[in-house]
Amino acid sequence: MSAVSIRNVSKAFNEGKSNQVDALREVSLDVEPGEFISLIGPSGCGKSTLLRLIANLLEPTAGEVAVNGKSATQARLDQDYGMAFQQAGLFDWRTVRKNIELPLELKGWDKSARRARAEEMLQLVQLPEFADHYPWQLSGGMQQRIAIARALAAHPPLLLMDEPFGALDEMTREYMQGELLRICAATGTTVVFVTHSIPEAVYLSNRVVVMSPRPGRITKIVEVSLGAERTEDTRNRTPFFEAITAVREGLRGMHAAHVGLGNDDR
Amino acid sequence: MNNVVRLISKVLPAVVFGALFLGTWEWAVRFFELKPYFLTAPSSIGEQFVTNFSFIRRAATVSGTNALVGLIAGTVLGVMMSFVLSRFRFLNQIISPLAVALNAVPIFVLVAVLNNMYSITSEIPRRIMVLLVVYFIVLVNVARGLTQISSTHAELMRSYAASDIAILRKVRVPNALPFLFVSLKIAAPAAVITAFVSEYFGGSQNGLGSRISSNIANSKNAAAWAYVLAACLLGLLFYLFSVVMESLNRKGEAK
Repeated sequence: MSAVSIRNVSKAFNEGKSNQVDALREVSLDVEPGEFISLIGPSGCGKSTLLRLIANLLEPTAGEVAVNGKSATQARLDQDYGMAFQQAGLFDWRTVRKNIELPLELKGWDKSARRARAEEMLQLVQLPEFADHYPWQLSGGMQQRIAIARALAAHPPLLLMDEPFGALDEMTREYMQGELLRICAATGTTVVFVTHSIPEAVYLSNRVVVMSPRPGRITKIVEVSLGAERTEDTRNRTPFFEAITAVREGLRGMHAAHVGLGNDDR
Repeated sequence: MNNVVRLISKVLPAVVFGALFLGTWEWAVRFFELKPYFLTAPSSIGEQFVTNFSFIRRAATVSGTNALVGLIAGTVLGVMMSFVLSRFRFLNQIISPLAVALNAVPIFVLVAVLNNMYSITSEIPRRIMVLLVVYFIVLVNVARGLTQISSTHAELMRSYAASDIAILRKVRVPNALPFLFVSLKIAAPAAVITAFVSEYFGGSQNGLGSRISSNIANSKNAAAWAYVLAACLLGLLFYLFSVVMESLNRKGEAK
């Protein structure tokens, strides 16, 4: 059973009106359990839309989305996935611990179970000493780690990430990539990851899905053969550069006129 | 010890300036032999304040109670209505522009009309007037806080399959709290000003505002000034309340 199964999915905004936008047309994709998949492409290629269809934050115009063998709606109701955004989106009025506990609160967990799980997650992202801090007392990278801890608090089998490191500086970004791989290896979580950065996509992924705009579609899928164990040294090795070149060629293969003309990411 | 020094160095300039100002005022009145109807000396104002203190206190209690009752009732109603508005967006679209427009016009003149509705000695028209002023300030701000939640938070709560009630309790209400404090900071001084001004439009002559006008009408200028002083003190009290409210807000955000 695939972790995520997307069958002939199309999504149009303002359907039937003069300003109709075909965000996605006839997209199919399967994500295997434990796999790390990146969606990459220029603005307007529909990568964020695709992620939101998996999350059931949007409904497809046509086609089917299945998560964990269920409909996307049922998977959302069952909280089968965790989600992280470009903004960490922590709640300023809650401590770090209470932020991580929020999804568990909504699931109706009792206090001691919530507390134990929050403690476990804080250990996982290696910030146990910040449990009683408020989000604004943390750096951007730390906030993003807490957001990941929150997304994984209910131990969902799937993690959906929308440019989570987009607002971080390059150094923090590379550190966070290593952290994310370590966390996913420890939890066995499947990840669908939206990014603008080619090296980021290659470093993290088993497969990189290259998308193009107008209408949004998948143009190429690049297999990344860097092995399971990825270190800082991985970034200096030939297979890394080969995969980067392959992704870049996939992106260049599109019409130059398409690149950078998108009005938004949806 | 260090704190005491710091406090003194902070307060001293203001105290020195105040003393110099009052000194100059007193000196000018004596030196130029200004007539009391033109400008009254601070010393005679102080004297009047002390001799009339029990009357002043009674008048201040009347005006202060009107302001406080209106402030509390207006806040409660404003908060309640903001929940209704945030639930029914179309109401929000009708009422918000009206509320914003009302904030820009001196609606306290309505008290003259309200006075007609109640008996001449009733305090109710003034309290309703304060209530209306406070109500719209609180309503507009809190409704904004309840509706303007970040898109990330909205998507996050949907991803958790959170119910509307859960979103209200865990996101909308906490998000609106700072807006409530800000609105109180605006509403508290507005309440006390409205309470004074309302007294100029008739009704029983028992508050600070009406005492000021009746003393001036009787050429008792020093006494009028003493009531002005009391009005300033009452205004300060309400302002202090709003400052405390804001510091509570800061503590919550502490940015």
